[in-house]
Amino acid sequence: MKQVLFGLIVFLLVGLALAQSPGEKQPSVIMAPVGNVQLRAGGSLNLDLDFRIGPDFHINSSKPRADYLIPTVLKLSSPEPVAVADVKYPAGEDMSFAFSPNEKLSVYSGDFSITTVLKAPANAAAGSYPVKGELRFQACDRSACYPPRSIPVQFQVTVVKK
Amino acid sequence: MLKRNAFVFVMLVLVIMAMLAAGKYLDRTRKHGPIKLVGDVHNVPAPDFELPTLDGRKVKLSDFRGQAVLLNFWATWCPPCKIEMPWFVDMQKQYGKDGLVVLGVAMDDTESAKIAEFAHEMGVNYLVLLGTDQVSDDYGDVRSLPTTFYIDRNGTIVAKAVGLLGRQEIEDDVKKALSAAYKPAAQLKRAEAKVKSAWAKEATQ
Repeated sequence: MKQVLFGLIVFLLVGLALAQSPGEKQPSVIMAPVGNVQLRAGGSLNLDLDFRIGPDFHINSSKPRADYLIPTVLKLSSPEPVAVADVKYPAGEDMSFAFSPNEKLSVYSGDFSITTVLKAPANAAAGSYPVKGELRFQACDRSACYPPRSIPVQFQVTVVKK
Repeated sequence: MLKRNAFVFVMLVLVIMAMLAAGKYLDRTRKHGPIKLVGDVHNVPAPDFELPTLDGRKVKLSDFRGQAVLLNFWATWCPPCKIEMPWFVDMQKQYGKDGLVVLGVAMDDTESAKIAEFAHEMGVNYLVLLGTDQVSDDYGDVRSLPTTFYIDRNGTIVAKAVGLLGRQEIEDDVKKALSAAYKPAAQLKRAEAKVKSAWAKEATQ
């Protein structure tokens, strides 16, 4: 029975994969789960947020080379007393693609990390605080581009006393 | 355990049957004059639309019946779309006299002035229309850009291209769209199919 079930599942997955026409698969960007973030009151912390772009896709870096391109932007908001003091983006990789061999684009592909600098004042009350926001990006593959999208970004920061 | 496996097996069979039934239904809808494009769009009537131009006029696809239409979905943020634009400019120049109309449907979520500026910089000599989610949906949920439909003089889709193709492939599809003779009778048939489809829809409601 198990073999039959496995066969059926494989059949369904293959069917779904074949149903998707080439050039019409959708890009994905996912964020790795963030572990326990501890921030000392009066201190600051660099927190790397790790993202993974689906195979065959790339997204514009935070500083694309042309005005008409949509940059990758991380927007975060935090409740007091936690403050997002800075967001540091990695440098993009200069790549040229078959659709534009003479033009270099600044992109991210595969895995990349954005560093956020978190701060809490010395008088911050101890506790757990949610930091929420979104990563906005616009993806392309080797022959087509896809509308800009946003994915939610969320993690918990625990403020501890000195 | 055996009972649970049997239940899962039956559920899977039911899911497959439901998927097959849905596919058959969608296929039947396509054959009877669809309102929205689904699956293979070759030889299917192009859904009509009315969209604003950059200068605020309204244009319908059916305004161009009797002419071949290259309907290109694009956006300013799409580098492959930018590559094609000079080719479309050339096609409009070269084949305009034979009855080709290039329509660029901008899928940007930005003000029309920016799109107009971009089109001007690119030397666009064809009509640029401001796309909507509705028209994207009607054309099969256009998400990958560029996506181009080649529509013959009778309003039938003869080719669809997703992503950037070579210039020669584009020109071949343009020629294919231009090659069909205009048959006003086909228009009547299509109108008839549309009415029948609307009746069928009404009857099921």
